[in-house]
Amino acid sequence: MDGKLKEIVLENSDVIVQKWLEEINSDKEKSNIKSIPDELFETTNREFVNVIFRSIKNNMEPASVENFAEKVINLGWPLSYITDGLQVFRRVMVNYIVNQPAEQRDIADFTEVMKSVDDWLDPIIRQLVDEYTGSWEQTVSMQKVALQELSAPIIPLVDNITAMPLVGTIDTERAKLIMENLLDGVINHNSQVVLIDITGVPIVDTMVAHHIIKAAEAVRLVGATCILVGIRPEIAQTIVNLGIDLSKFPTQSTMEKGFRRALELTDRKIVEFDRKDENVENLIHSIKGE
Amino acid sequence: MRIPILKLNNYLLISIQTEIDDNTAIQFQEDLLNKIHQNGSSGVVIDLTSVEIIDSFIAKVLGDVISMSDLMGAKVVLTGIQPAVALTLIDLGIHLQDVPTAMDLEQGLVKLYQELGE
Repeated sequence: MDGKLKEIVLENSDVIVQKWLEEINSDKEKSNIKSIPDELFETTNREFVNVIFRSIKNNMEPASVENFAEKVINLGWPLSYITDGLQVFRRVMVNYIVNQPAEQRDIADFTEVMKSVDDWLDPIIRQLVDEYTGSWEQTVSMQKVALQELSAPIIPLVDNITAMPLVGTIDTERAKLIMENLLDGVINHNSQVVLIDITGVPIVDTMVAHHIIKAAEAVRLVGATCILVGIRPEIAQTIVNLGIDLSKFPTQSTMEKGFRRALELTDRKIVEFDRKDENVENLIHSIKGE
Repeated sequence: MRIPILKLNNYLLISIQTEIDDNTAIQFQEDLLNKIHQNGSSGVVIDLTSVEIIDSFIAKVLGDVISMSDLMGAKVVLTGIQPAVALTLIDLGIHLQDVPTAMDLEQGLVKLYQELGE
């Protein structure tokens, strides 16, 4: 039964392909791949249909499907191109078989035809979709790793003072990472003061504040002090409006102020040399002396 | 297993080098308070550098010992709390709010001088 149908399809592949190409080309206008040059579209379609027929003929050929999927993914075409293409192919093929003279196709049952066609095409669809989602998942996981590397850097400023600038939204997972990095950094750099800069954190809600407070308390237990810097006016407003109590550890509006505070806490200060003024004064003195 | 308590002038130094079980903790509490009584010590440094795990009971005992020592007139500084331990304590809701902490023994002693205003 299945073999008979397959024979019909393979023998008349030219006609089916022709019909399929016509339909696909008319679909192209509707879909979001209009910008693709006709020539490339044409050759890819040919390759697509070849892959399908080869799979039907040899009862699935994973390697060629995989190659094709890779190519389309590299071209950056949407998954809908593949699913639509296969849908159209299924329709064309079923139409063709059903429209054959009864004695030739030798079957009366329409569901039989559908089942055979499904059996040929489903594995291809499954594999192509798998390839696509696989490539997406890979991209997502790579970005996740990159994000993690960027998410909580710890920077030693001077002896015993380190800074951790935070940029972007903080969720629970990231807060955990921040906390671990922070504590390890404090120990590794032997810092007495840590500046946490939240200039780049767009929203500070109760959850974020809770994580920051937790981190500050943990830092205190480890034996260092935490200064929260980069509090913007709108963040100050949210914090107070939400009733979050940050009074327990020092906060400053800018990194510079925080740094000065940190120097104070470690018994140091910034001394400015102003040689020029001194020279001018000396000069005036010496002139007066004469 | 008893935790050794060392005397340095009028300070007491304790370095906890083993994992503490409940009995050791209780024993330590009594030993330390007796030592403070004997020597009239004014400061205590408890070093936790080698402690990797602290459970809620040990944390409670530590907090108690600190308050008790305070009552007897000895200021306690905790030093060398490991990041993992700090995280556990915070997660357990034990903030040791009024206890001074320092990174190592040296800084702990400096802190103690400051606390006692000497």
